[in-house]
Amino acid sequence: MTRMKWVHVVIGSLAATACAGDSGKGTSPPPPTSIVLVDSLPIPQNYGIHDQFIRDGLAFVCAWNTGLLIYDVGNGIKGGTPASPKLVGQLVPSADSVPGGAQVHNAWWFWNPNTNEKKYLFLGQEGPGTIGASSQGDIHVIDVSDLTNPQEVAHFRLAGAGTHNFWMDEANQVLYAAYYNGGVVRIDVSGTLSGDISSRLIDTVSFGAGNTYTWGVQLYNGSIYAIDMVSGLWHLNASLGSLGSSGGGNNEAARYSSDLWVANGYAYTGTWDHFRRTGLIGSLLKVWQLSGTGAPVAEDSILVSGVGAVSDAEVSADGKLLMFSTESGPNSGFWFYSLAVPAHPTLLDKYLISSGVHTATFATIGGRLYAFGAENPSGAALIILDVTGLDQ
Amino acid sequence: MHRKSVSPVVVAALLVGGGRAAWGQVVTASWGAQAIPALTETNVVPGDRSLGEARVLLPVAMLHAAVLGGRLRLVATANLEKYTIPHGELAPGNWGESFEDRRHPHTLVHELMLVGGGSHLYVAAGKGFVPFGSDDPMSRPAVLFPVNHHLSQILERAVAMAGVRVRWVTLEGAVFNGDEPVSPGSWPAWDRFGDSWALRLTIRPVAGLETQASTAWVHSPENRPGAGPDDRKTSISARWERGRWYGELEWARTATADGFFVFHSGLGEAALQLSGHRPYLRIERSDRPEEERVFASPFRTRRPLFENSILGITRWTIVTAGDALELRRGPLRYAPFVEGSWIGIARVGGGVFDPIVFYGREHGASITVGIRLAIGMPMHRMGRYDMSPAEGTAPMTMPMDHGERRE
Repeated sequence: MTRMKWVHVVIGSLAATACAGDSGKGTSPPPPTSIVLVDSLPIPQNYGIHDQFIRDGLAFVCAWNTGLLIYDVGNGIKGGTPASPKLVGQLVPSADSVPGGAQVHNAWWFWNPNTNEKKYLFLGQEGPGTIGASSQGDIHVIDVSDLTNPQEVAHFRLAGAGTHNFWMDEANQVLYAAYYNGGVVRIDVSGTLSGDISSRLIDTVSFGAGNTYTWGVQLYNGSIYAIDMVSGLWHLNASLGSLGSSGGGNNEAARYSSDLWVANGYAYTGTWDHFRRTGLIGSLLKVWQLSGTGAPVAEDSILVSGVGAVSDAEVSADGKLLMFSTESGPNSGFWFYSLAVPAHPTLLDKYLISSGVHTATFATIGGRLYAFGAENPSGAALIILDVTGLDQ
Repeated sequence: MHRKSVSPVVVAALLVGGGRAAWGQVVTASWGAQAIPALTETNVVPGDRSLGEARVLLPVAMLHAAVLGGRLRLVATANLEKYTIPHGELAPGNWGESFEDRRHPHTLVHELMLVGGGSHLYVAAGKGFVPFGSDDPMSRPAVLFPVNHHLSQILERAVAMAGVRVRWVTLEGAVFNGDEPVSPGSWPAWDRFGDSWALRLTIRPVAGLETQASTAWVHSPENRPGAGPDDRKTSISARWERGRWYGELEWARTATADGFFVFHSGLGEAALQLSGHRPYLRIERSDRPEEERVFASPFRTRRPLFENSILGITRWTIVTAGDALELRRGPLRYAPFVEGSWIGIARVGGGVFDPIVFYGREHGASITVGIRLAIGMPMHRMGRYDMSPAEGTAPMTMPMDHGERRE
């Protein structure tokens, strides 16, 4: 049963925190803090940009049918900085007979601690789908040994389903991928990857027919957490021979769920309300307390009015700052919350972008904290904000 | 179509008064215009409510001109819906070009086609209809468009086509730009001309009967830069128009994204010309993709798109019946009408879209009252450029050109 201790309501520039059952008096909004736009990098309009993966000063921009764009945003390989990204390399991976083309959606650059290789980049292809029912799209493996000349070397297909967001257990050389109606898949990515690697599938887990459309997955303290649009937040046990549910699920019936991030012993999940599951307006950022062995327990909730979805969520590496992106509505953009009390985030600031932000990612470059975001078309762009001032 | 041979001096007067004129034996021209002030009320509205709207629908002006004995013809139609229904026409089930449950306004330059040739061979180029599917609903009896408009017609494209006619068989082929209009003021993306094609075989075995089968490949219709999935379209129809009777049966199928999404449509309609009255009936069952509605309006979907997912497919069963009283005062023809529809909505396959959640119902109705106003030449059969010069530009005798008129 969902337990909601706290409800925050965010409308426009107001942030009010009310304890359920009390008088409902709001507190004053915190003083504004500085968010600095350092760059807005235009991306071609072939559906624009969907996601970005930032590591070691390199931005792997997932630009749909424009393909993969690799930018130096502080690595030094091309003299780029967050304020002046420099293109290093690019690639349009094969469509793999998936209708709609390459449809590059998300990426993970695999740093293998066993071999010290940084050779492979995994790309997710988001093909056509019917939300809640069906999907298409493969995982493409790109050899980025030469960042200026990336080459596609392998691909993975799960019959009857399409991939979405990734997480990697790099030490164990295992890729976890949310696979929409296919649930969660676990893939062995050790050694050399070449050609069709579909046989490297280790395991899958589904949450039931008609109850599975998995958006994202994350490994945290030895547990796998999966967020499913239909059936909510699940805790999976990865230590057994096969993936299995050990708790949670079927815990968000009023809305469809979206992204997740796990940190500080809590999971932060969004809701996708482009089509309202019930008559409830706005979208939620939900906070769940994790026990590590059982079902997540809903602890708090932030309602953002005037948006169609909380489309992405992430916590900074130091655990102090929560960011989520929103789209489809006047309150679309970046939202930043303090995690001084991890169970109850408090609004610090926001950066609104009318066309919406599809995904957002933190990266620390040169000692400063940046938020990278995918601005939706029209006017698709990689937005780069300096949010160091918020991360106190 | 009749033509008069007159001196240029009287052309202007004829244009004002009659709609047909000729410059000696060199140029012949016909013109016409129509508009339909109408009020529509329906309870199939997002948010479980009723809504009524009065708008001027289908305000069009047509000009057909011919030279060289009809071997070179201009077909031009201006559509002013950009000004009268910029936010669309309330029409449950209609969809396309970022509108849902509203018919989108057509583009200002609806047709601008040059047609050359004779009885057996013709070529045509310009902006207009692709030789695919059935006639545009604009030139058919019912006022509200059917759900299948985007399954059964391809229009407002930069198109080049050719046709061969042997006795009662006509074969037409065309290349065109796949992108559909993005606004009522937009032009085709010229750099995409030729990325899509269509073929249509028409057989007219006896007077009054016309059957056609057509197929088309449309590249990325909903994404102007060309990044969207493609449509494979098929249409079969039979049309009867003779004497007091008009009828049509049609079936259409669109497979999007290599068949990942498939939409079907079946439609039958009929009209009968009585003394001054023209009752009509249309029965349709058509599939529709359900897309995310934008925050600003539950009748609009996101454009440009940034992914290829939909929320589900709905199947619309609509029975429409109407009657029009056809009258005339001088050159002005006017036809008060009333038109009612019973509407059923069902889910097809999976997906999150649920009509109960969105509309608060699975069944509803709409009623439209209004008056067709027309002057000059009757509305031509939109979607057909294959008629011989002797047949002119193929006027649609329905809905405005039959029967007894009262002064």
